[in-house]
Amino acid sequence: MKRALYITLNEVKLYLQDKGDLAFGLLLPIVTFALMYGAFGGQTLFEATAVIVNEDGGNYSTLFVEHLDEVEGIDVELLTATEADAKLERSDLLLALVIPAGFSQALASGNKAELVFKQRGNGGQEGQILASIARSVAGEMNQEFQVRDQVKSSLEGTGIPGDRIDVTVQQFLEEERGQPAVGVVEEVVGGSPDFISQFLPGIVTMYVLFALTLSARTIVEERKRGTLERLLTTRLSANELFFGKFLASVTRGFVQTLILLGLSYAVFQLFTPLSFIASLVICLIFAAAAAALGLIIASIARSEDGSVWIAVVFTMVMVMMGGTFFQVSEGSILATVGKASISTYANDALRTVVAEGGSLGDTVWQLVVLAGICVVGLAISRLIFKVLPGGK
Amino acid sequence: MAEEFLVVKDLHKSFNEFKAVNGVSFSIEKGAIFGLLGPNGAGKTTTIRMLSTVLEADSGDITIGGHSVRHDAEAVRRIIGVCPQDLALYEDLSALDNMVFFGRMVGLNGDEARAQAMTNLELMGLEDRAKGKVAKFSGGMKRRINLAIALMGNPQLLFLDEPTVGIDPQSRNHIYENILGLQKKGMTILYTTHYMEEADRLCQRVAIMDGGQIITLDTPYKLKSQIGSPEQVTMEDVFLKLTGRSLRD
Repeated sequence: MKRALYITLNEVKLYLQDKGDLAFGLLLPIVTFALMYGAFGGQTLFEATAVIVNEDGGNYSTLFVEHLDEVEGIDVELLTATEADAKLERSDLLLALVIPAGFSQALASGNKAELVFKQRGNGGQEGQILASIARSVAGEMNQEFQVRDQVKSSLEGTGIPGDRIDVTVQQFLEEERGQPAVGVVEEVVGGSPDFISQFLPGIVTMYVLFALTLSARTIVEERKRGTLERLLTTRLSANELFFGKFLASVTRGFVQTLILLGLSYAVFQLFTPLSFIASLVICLIFAAAAAALGLIIASIARSEDGSVWIAVVFTMVMVMMGGTFFQVSEGSILATVGKASISTYANDALRTVVAEGGSLGDTVWQLVVLAGICVVGLAISRLIFKVLPGGK
Repeated sequence: MAEEFLVVKDLHKSFNEFKAVNGVSFSIEKGAIFGLLGPNGAGKTTTIRMLSTVLEADSGDITIGGHSVRHDAEAVRRIIGVCPQDLALYEDLSALDNMVFFGRMVGLNGDEARAQAMTNLELMGLEDRAKGKVAKFSGGMKRRINLAIALMGNPQLLFLDEPTVGIDPQSRNHIYENILGLQKKGMTILYTTHYMEEADRLCQRVAIMDGGQIITLDTPYKLKSQIGSPEQVTMEDVFLKLTGRSLRD
């Protein structure tokens, strides 16, 4: 057993010396993480740009634009009508909010005014959200007008100047908005099923799968180089050699997940301490299952090129079937076919913990399957693995 | 007569339909250097693989130091060292790391392995390059490391499978001197080579293999005497006479 551990340590040492493998195994996940952070980092709230064509330019249209700009996550971009039409034509823009000329004058005169949503189709998801926010801001303005009109109507004949009424009404409304009758409290109960927590498990499992199935290449290389054969002339048994290689593969895969999950823990704050440990346990068992399958590839492949091709095809199929880049709907054909992919079980288990706030206990079924794959994979690969044709 | 340290009786090994080793028998006395010569594809490497427990023979008996390879392979592996024909090294590691690793594999602890590694590196004249990466070594240096690794664990029987292939005369001479030095210390050596002058210089007895069989076995002197004056005939003459001049794959 001690010699098996020395095999593992030697493998890890060799891995640290191989700049290509090190770059792929350690740097690439870090770079991927950096890209993810650049794309999604810190943006757990909705953010969008509201394109407005202000043909009016009056007080009320300016007020509307200011209210919209104050909404958290919304940036306002003012365009001319021509510019907006051109962008809509090219589909660079799916929704533009038009404040027509005469908007402020109509409101000042006590008449109704309209905002226009110019959109392609339904304006897209972002457009619909923006439209909803714009309606909400318009609704608030409507409330202001209604309150102001009612107060003015009530105070008619009292001699109080209209602009004083406006200021007082404005102050009242601001106080009310600061302390609304119906308050909203946010209570965070766990990880949110947002895009990053849906996407991260797939990225983690994909890297582990790539790294470990490609470790089959190193075993085939060793067989070709003759070091495997040399090892068998020592006191090292074939079983110890095999187990040492397996442990080395698991170690490599686990270190990668540790980096990705650790960075995600620190930056995205997706985990509680318990859910982080649960994720590591899931990844460790998944790494063991993938390592066992990598050893099967090493046993089958007769050349380094062959091992790489088998590993790449195998990994891509597992990744695609496993719902790595998209969530698979329950009951769909892909869900049924995906049951043949080890990525499915690892992704499901990680999503349960990361996105749904579940515990290890909620992933028992997936872990049992992965552990079973590991055991069966090890048994099969040991039976078919030979250092030399006709040998042990 | 000296004790027989290695005894091979009627060894057979086939790969599918191809008979690689077809009834090979010989013995080696303790402390002797025994040469195994033959053209490419004669079955030398397959024979060595069976003797070193890497391959299982289809039939036949092999006894090394009183232990049967078939029934007590673990005991055999404790007393053998193998220097394979191809360089079996971890080129991304240093010479010392390679030797310590293989030292651990033959049962040494860390300190013992390091001590023996340095001793063997000194023997090979590479003690100054102990921490150097093997990938940066010359071919001759790599061959010497390859041999040094085989000496880890102080084996009683050493298999040297063409240990001087492709290296310069100085490195080759250095290896010859090392081998003769090991023999003086009582090591038994099975030596395969294509270089006839090596067999003539180093080996007490030589077996010539062809087509999976041993076609002749005797001392270099007696083999040369079979075809002419031993002072004028070379081992190459003997070899070509027995195996023919046609090209081999």
